Amino acid sequence: MELSVLLALRDPAGIPFYPVVFQALYILTWALHIAFVLLSLGSAGLSLYGSTQKNSPHWQQLTPHLIQTGKLSVSLLIVLGVAPLLFTQVIYDPNWYVTNSLAGMWIFIFIYALIVGYCMYYWYYYANKAHHGGGVLVGAISFGFLVFCGVLMHSFAVTSLMPNEWMAMYMPNGSVDMSGWTFNVETVRLAFMVSLALPVVGIFLQAYSRFVSTRKDFEASYVAFTARLGTKTAMVGLVLSAALFVLWMGAIGYLFHPISLATVVGVVVLLGLSAFNRNSYITVGWLVVVALLISGVREWIRYDIMAALGYTIYDYPVNLEIPTIVMFLATFLVMGGVGVAYLLTMAWKVGKSEGVFDGSQDVVVSKLGNYTLGIMSAWIVIFFGWGLMILFNNIL
Amino acid sequence: MEIVGQFPLFYFPDYGSAWMMGLTGTIHILASHTSVGAALLFAFLVHKAYKENRSDLYPYMKKYGMFLLIFSYVIGSITGSGIWYTATAASPWGISALIHNFVWVWATEWVFFVYEVIGVFALVYFMDKIDKKTHLKLTYTFALASLGTLCLIIGIISFMMWPGTDAYYVTGSASDAFFGVNTFPHMFLRLGFMIMMAGVIGILISSGMKKDNPDLSDELTRKMGFVSILGGAITLFFFVWYMGTLPENAHAIFAYDKDAIIQSRIVLTLMFSVYFALAILRPRWMNIPLASVMIGVILVSGLWKGEKLRESMRKPYVAGQYIYSNQIISRDVAGKGIKSELPLLAEKGLLQATPWIPAHLRTITEANQLEAGELLVKLACSHCHSLEPTGKYRPMRDRVAGMDKEGIKGILYGIGAGAFSHMPTLQLPEDEFEAMAQWLAAQPY
Repeated sequence: MELSVLLALRDPAGIPFYPVVFQALYILTWALHIAFVLLSLGSAGLSLYGSTQKNSPHWQQLTPHLIQTGKLSVSLLIVLGVAPLLFTQVIYDPNWYVTNSLAGMWIFIFIYALIVGYCMYYWYYYANKAHHGGGVLVGAISFGFLVFCGVLMHSFAVTSLMPNEWMAMYMPNGSVDMSGWTFNVETVRLAFMVSLALPVVGIFLQAYSRFVSTRKDFEASYVAFTARLGTKTAMVGLVLSAALFVLWMGAIGYLFHPISLATVVGVVVLLGLSAFNRNSYITVGWLVVVALLISGVREWIRYDIMAALGYTIYDYPVNLEIPTIVMFLATFLVMGGVGVAYLLTMAWKVGKSEGVFDGSQDVVVSKLGNYTLGIMSAWIVIFFGWGLMILFNNIL
Repeated sequence: MEIVGQFPLFYFPDYGSAWMMGLTGTIHILASHTSVGAALLFAFLVHKAYKENRSDLYPYMKKYGMFLLIFSYVIGSITGSGIWYTATAASPWGISALIHNFVWVWATEWVFFVYEVIGVFALVYFMDKIDKKTHLKLTYTFALASLGTLCLIIGIISFMMWPGTDAYYVTGSASDAFFGVNTFPHMFLRLGFMIMMAGVIGILISSGMKKDNPDLSDELTRKMGFVSILGGAITLFFFVWYMGTLPENAHAIFAYDKDAIIQSRIVLTLMFSVYFALAILRPRWMNIPLASVMIGVILVSGLWKGEKLRESMRKPYVAGQYIYSNQIISRDVAGKGIKSELPLLAEKGLLQATPWIPAHLRTITEANQLEAGELLVKLACSHCHSLEPTGKYRPMRDRVAGMDKEGIKGILYGIGAGAFSHMPTLQLPEDEFEAMAQWLAAQPY
């Protein structure tokens, strides 16, 4: 692909802030997104196995929690997925838009497959709630849809990394193909990404076990069972993922790249933390670090592929846009920080309580709630004030 | 500038690719509008239940909340990203313009989304697990977060119609692009519709409670009837105001079907006024099948047609009145350093100045004229018109059937000269117009 074409595919409006900031936000938010993708696949998959264990009281107790985890994770992966989707198309617009145009039909199918898959997941949730082991077939089909969506998303990512083949994909043998059926798979990369669902759900189970261990209504044997299951799943998954990662890196010539080596070290540390399972909350924290490294590897590969063609995001023309970035940063740090802290603190304390949690008597929850309400109200007032000022300035 | 940055074309036979956006968008609007309206209604109900100590309202809210959660947030969040995705395939420059102007606005909206998605689960699942006062506070923040998402998206979709003033073209500022003359009327028009939708969904749920608790069902159905009427009245009032803030080209399109559109809106208004009045006066007549049918009527006759009209009224533009539907930049935007692509295309043509052209079609010959013509027509026309003889979406057949090559060429030159305000003023070299006309005239329309 010629550089002149890639440059022409950049938006002439330029970008409203420095490209490195978008790149960093992309790496960060993709890591959060993939964490919930993997947790949803891992917990949904494990719940299907759990649904078949009708004689085990521990599995009977765990399975609904896994299904619920999968349900919440899908919602979170969708909302967290919006952010990397946004940031990638700001700086890598040639890759993003060419891929979507070439794979238009798959894009459409992806949306509706996700709707069907997720709605069926709710069906699975209610069927299992009605009686243990209920809705396994529906759950399996739903799981199949979710995996299919993952494969499609992988295909979009791979196509976006093939700029030299784009022309041939669009014009095979010189004949234009506008059908939108372009589909590409990189098997080892896909296998590696999917395999990560195992360590993620394993480490989640370790943390879950630690979390419920303080609750008197959870038996000690159940707590030990979930910790054991988590450790076993995490260990097997990490070894498998590590092997696939080495294969993938070897295949594309990145095996001894500093970021690959850092990722391998990260995985080895994660293996140690999971094996000993002294404090699973620390393991979860380290898992986030490894997710950031993997996100960094992906970005490094993309950057190198584009740089080889002379395309670098760092020379993207910048048209600084101060008011809206101030709005974003203030909302993200102040409202987002306080608001999400409020919700998560409440969720944590509700989870730790055996009866009704009285948040009005809890100083932290109560104050965070008041602050969130105050900040949101102030936000709405500022928004209208800002808007009216701009409008009057432009029309009067 | 020697190349115009066109992307590969994605074309779905008989319909074009725009319908995919339209379908996903219509479902999204139903879900997202319901979710914001429902969040406000939810806050009102929880407030009432708390202040009046009405514990009997909580089971209703639980059901309402589950519906809100499953329908609005699941479908809404997927189709929300879905519009984005399908738009990138069908109208890449349109969505790119929005992204590059408003990325921080969208990122801010994302912060509210994150709060909403975690919040909606907390709102529903913690209803029996936290004290009522904390739950009330949570519903207030949730309603404000939902309102925040409306505030943030409205300026972007208003900009799609037009920036509202010339300030944006001079400064390139996102603030000037966002707060145009139609932004606030548009916001309150949609807010009214959201409130109405919350009431409509509320009737569906309350009417389903008749067997378990008939008195409560009656009370809530009546309330939802009043809520719907209030929402409908706000919608009507701001619709009239909104129409007055639209650009001339929008009114030119509207004028084509003005009588039919007004007639259908009057019929819908009357139909729903009767429905809401019945909900207030005869709540027992309400039931799930009727309520579901009425939601279907809103979806098909209200939203689908309304959004199609809004899309048509933007013509020939797709965003900010500087990008045509066929993905060509049609004017300078000095504040952003954007240059019109029309002069280059008039000089060199689509085949020479755009990248995704097979080598054998770069130069038109007698042998490849039809093939080149087909490609040119697809590039220039297929974003708005389906091209097959069996085409369904603004079919080209209806525009050129029975015309000879010279007649069609005359129309193409007329369009290029600006004879039709809703068509892009795309002037191409003689040989490209000739090839397009040749191919169109050869179609069995």
